[in-house]
Amino acid sequence: MKLLKCEYLKTRKRYVWITALVITAFCLLWTLHGNYNDFMLDNGWMMFLYQLPIINALFLPILAMIIASRLADIEHKGVMLKQLCPITKKGRLFDAKLVYGLLIMTVSLVIMYVGIVAGGKFIGFRNEFPVRLYAIFFLFTETTTFVIYILQHTLSLLIKNQIIPFFIGIIGEFIGIISLFLPSVPFLRKSIIWGYYGVLGFVGMFGWDKDSRYANAYFEVMHIDWTFWFVLIACGILIYIIGRKIFCEKEI
Amino acid sequence: MLLKILHTDKMKLRRSPVWLAFLLVPLVPAFLGTANYLNNLELLTSDWYSLWTQHTLFTGYIFLPIMLGIYCSYLMRLEHNNRNWNNVLTMPANPALFFLSKVIIASIMLVFTGIWIAILFVISGKIAGITVPVPYGQLSLWILGGILGGMVMISIQLLLSMLIKSFAIPIGISLAGGFSGLAVLSKGFGHIYPYALMAFGMKSNNNMQEISQGDYGQFVIVCIVYIVLFTIIGGMIIKNKEL
Repeated sequence: MKLLKCEYLKTRKRYVWITALVITAFCLLWTLHGNYNDFMLDNGWMMFLYQLPIINALFLPILAMIIASRLADIEHKGVMLKQLCPITKKGRLFDAKLVYGLLIMTVSLVIMYVGIVAGGKFIGFRNEFPVRLYAIFFLFTETTTFVIYILQHTLSLLIKNQIIPFFIGIIGEFIGIISLFLPSVPFLRKSIIWGYYGVLGFVGMFGWDKDSRYANAYFEVMHIDWTFWFVLIACGILIYIIGRKIFCEKEI
Repeated sequence: MLLKILHTDKMKLRRSPVWLAFLLVPLVPAFLGTANYLNNLELLTSDWYSLWTQHTLFTGYIFLPIMLGIYCSYLMRLEHNNRNWNNVLTMPANPALFFLSKVIIASIMLVFTGIWIAILFVISGKIAGITVPVPYGQLSLWILGGILGGMVMISIQLLLSMLIKSFAIPIGISLAGGFSGLAVLSKGFGHIYPYALMAFGMKSNNNMQEISQGDYGQFVIVCIVYIVLFTIIGGMIIKNKEL
């Protein structure tokens, strides 16, 4: 708790929370903005579940990159690790920064999803709000974001030059987003953590075509892939263990 | 004097791995964009034009703006670190030239990226089996348009990165800029909004007709005005403000 309080004090007046909130607000606006026709008003909640994997894959890895870099950069800039590591164990410092970052990510995600639900109610979606599906979707989004954050956190702490974690994150995100548009190559999205927003998406739209457009379109819940959720968690744990070990053994 | 400053900036970047990202990132849309093009041949029927949209859609709107944001942040971070501004500003040179030098250095990277995107585009098209001749004239215009629009973004991002000492916040702004550019472009104001000019110049999402009939005159003037304006503002801030 003390270390977490320290993290809070270090980030005070450094606009970390505000940065996270601004990106979240932007993401929320992006999600809710649009012209809603009858089809969308009738199927609004399912439409969001269909669209959100792409929006999440666009915004959340960038949010993770920025927050992780910001928290790590505080230490790199002032050569603070040299002072902190003799005071506390390196592993605990790694964990405290990680927990603090994940807390920011969680708050951002909660705000985003509460905003989406409130926005949907305000717009006036006519179908019933699928609580269970949204709870599962939130869990999947949170897990994917956490795993990406753990990787970014590790890279940002290990590499002094923050441009490298950013570029690794950008390349990963880029592949992740494009993989969402390549359903015929499923191994691509399953092979990188940034693609899991798509892997764990479970709502599909069928019946849409260029000529009839939404006339025959409908949304359907597809297979909810718990296996790959566990695979993702295993990846997260592995990244955490390896990252923490390297950080603990690294000369500061 | 500008050449000397450029030389020092070049020295500061020596052995920096930044160029590697600009080399690697365009490979992703080239490879996956071509795969997507080949998977949707029944819908994407405009040969080189369709392939171009597949290659540049996300690059122009999101990834190149963020990459430029990161690069500009990095260039300014070199000066923010270790109070390097004190050294820079006590050099016997016009301080405004330091800003101009960074605009030029970042633009050179953008030019190489543009050429690299064009090379990958032509190779991908040949591999994809497009038999129609390559529209080299238009390809040059798209690339030049992208570079010019990108230079506007560079001048703004450098200005922001100079004013904001944080590495990450200007990158967040470039992200917001890229996304808002997408929205502004869809409303028809892409030719005047600084963050939309690169995608507008590259014609990333237009159909074949719009790409063919693009009017670059006004676009070039707007870009030059923005570049000059932001570079002058940046130069004046360096001159007059203690950093």
